[in-house]
Amino acid sequence: MIRFDQVSKRYAAGQEALSQLSFHIAPGEMVFVTGHSGAGKSTLLKLLALIERPTRGTVTLDGQNLGTVGVRGIPRLRRKLGMVFQDHRLLLDRSVFANVELPLVIAGVPPEERARRVRAALDKVGLLAYEKQPPALLSTGEQQRVGIARAIVAKPALLIADEPTGNLDPQLSLEIMQLFADFQQVGTTVVIASHDLMLIKRMKKRVIVLDHGRLIADLAAEEVA
Amino acid sequence: MSARRRDAAARGEPSARPAPRGRLRAWREQHAWCLAASVRRLAERPLGTLLTVAVMGFALALPLAFYLLLGNVQRLGAALGETQAVSVFLKPGRDAPAAQALAARLRGRVDVAAVTVKTPQQGLRELAALEGFAPAVDALGDGNPLPYVLVVEPRPELARAAVTTLVETLRTLPDVDLVQDDGAWRERLDALVGVARRAVQLLAALLALAALLVVGNTVRLDIRSRADEIAVLQLVGASAGFVRRPYLYEGVWYGLCSGVVAVLLVLLLELALAGPAARLAGSYGGQLGFAGIAAPVLLTVPFGAALLGWLGARLASARHLGATMPH
Repeated sequence: MIRFDQVSKRYAAGQEALSQLSFHIAPGEMVFVTGHSGAGKSTLLKLLALIERPTRGTVTLDGQNLGTVGVRGIPRLRRKLGMVFQDHRLLLDRSVFANVELPLVIAGVPPEERARRVRAALDKVGLLAYEKQPPALLSTGEQQRVGIARAIVAKPALLIADEPTGNLDPQLSLEIMQLFADFQQVGTTVVIASHDLMLIKRMKKRVIVLDHGRLIADLAAEEVA
Repeated sequence: MSARRRDAAARGEPSARPAPRGRLRAWREQHAWCLAASVRRLAERPLGTLLTVAVMGFALALPLAFYLLLGNVQRLGAALGETQAVSVFLKPGRDAPAAQALAARLRGRVDVAAVTVKTPQQGLRELAALEGFAPAVDALGDGNPLPYVLVVEPRPELARAAVTTLVETLRTLPDVDLVQDDGAWRERLDALVGVARRAVQLLAALLALAALLVVGNTVRLDIRSRADEIAVLQLVGASAGFVRRPYLYEGVWYGLCSGVVAVLLVLLLELALAGPAARLAGSYGGQLGFAGIAAPVLLTVPFGAALLGWLGARLASARHLGATMPH
């Protein structure tokens, strides 16, 4: 599903965020990417969503070399994946329903089907009762779940999340992670950047550890204890 | 398009992409969403929207108003100077037989079509009919200071230069006191209207440019204040066209509304001027009514303005959406 081959990323300011990173993630896997802040976790996810491009090396997603995707191809690539952000990135002046609906509108799905799928997604994250509310009235954990509903509503094959539990207490964090594990259960590939080691240990999934942009450990699920 | 679709199918895109026959429908859905978004944005800040529309409306109404006035001045001029008639005032004291004799002589000329003799009595009656002159005519009592006047109509096919020659000849006649050439006056008015028309065209172009800048700037500010929203749309896979579309609709709304405002302003102006203008025309003895701007012209104004709004928004969005696009 995802292949990094000798990928390096140097930002214009000069710091090397990733260096010669190589790994492979199979379809249906759930993988945590961890490391200290500045280790390159976010950069790795940004390369997958083509928010950034690598300085060297190739990133392959679903058999497609991302280096061959031009600016005009970026929107279509992003429609194939669901993204969850630490600051959830919701439109605060629109209802929960409208926020979750957005990817479907962009894909041109007719309204009746949109409504059906939005409600299914909201039901999945347990927020069906809040569809008419503006996100600002929700708690941080609920806002994050709206973000997750938006990421999965178009049924992407790949779900990526950048510190999705960064602002949440341990109990809420575990609930959110469990939600991601549920999506893996139905076949979605899930990649989560997180620095919360306690949480990662409890989840018992594959872990890629970065340090100063280098891969220093790649632990299989059974090795995580 | 079909090649692209086959391509996508070959890569096995999993997708929320619609079936081929749903393409048109998808396109319609996206437009409906963007249309609703643009209307919501304008409604969110009614005062700002109103001000923008008012500024643009006035800017577009101004050249229309000048165009209206100019059209009527020209009509008035045309009505007054319809004939190229030349008025020949005889010297005081020339009597009826002298006037008739001269008229007969002039009728014999090849460049003259007709000559009418106006007696001093007729002249006085005409003068008395004019607004404001009646008391003055009454004050004259029995005396009539007006001379005989011969109204000479040159042959209609004569060129302007030939008419001028005729006028010069008439001026040299011993019985003639004064020759008034209405055609020359008409020519000067036409020239003046021509200059004014060019000025109005220039003004219209400048004000259209101003309207374009107003829309462009408004949309630019809107795009800036919505940078976060634009980023979210781009992150969830919106194409550049989709992100831009609400702003283009916004520009079209601004243009359309201001065009309607401009037309309403001009119609109000016509209403206000129609009465006084009719009285003015009446005082010149004409049956000339006040002419409004033609309906087809008025109808095209809102659409032209909408196009202007679209263009302004397009320029602003090309410039400022680019800045938020990913690498």
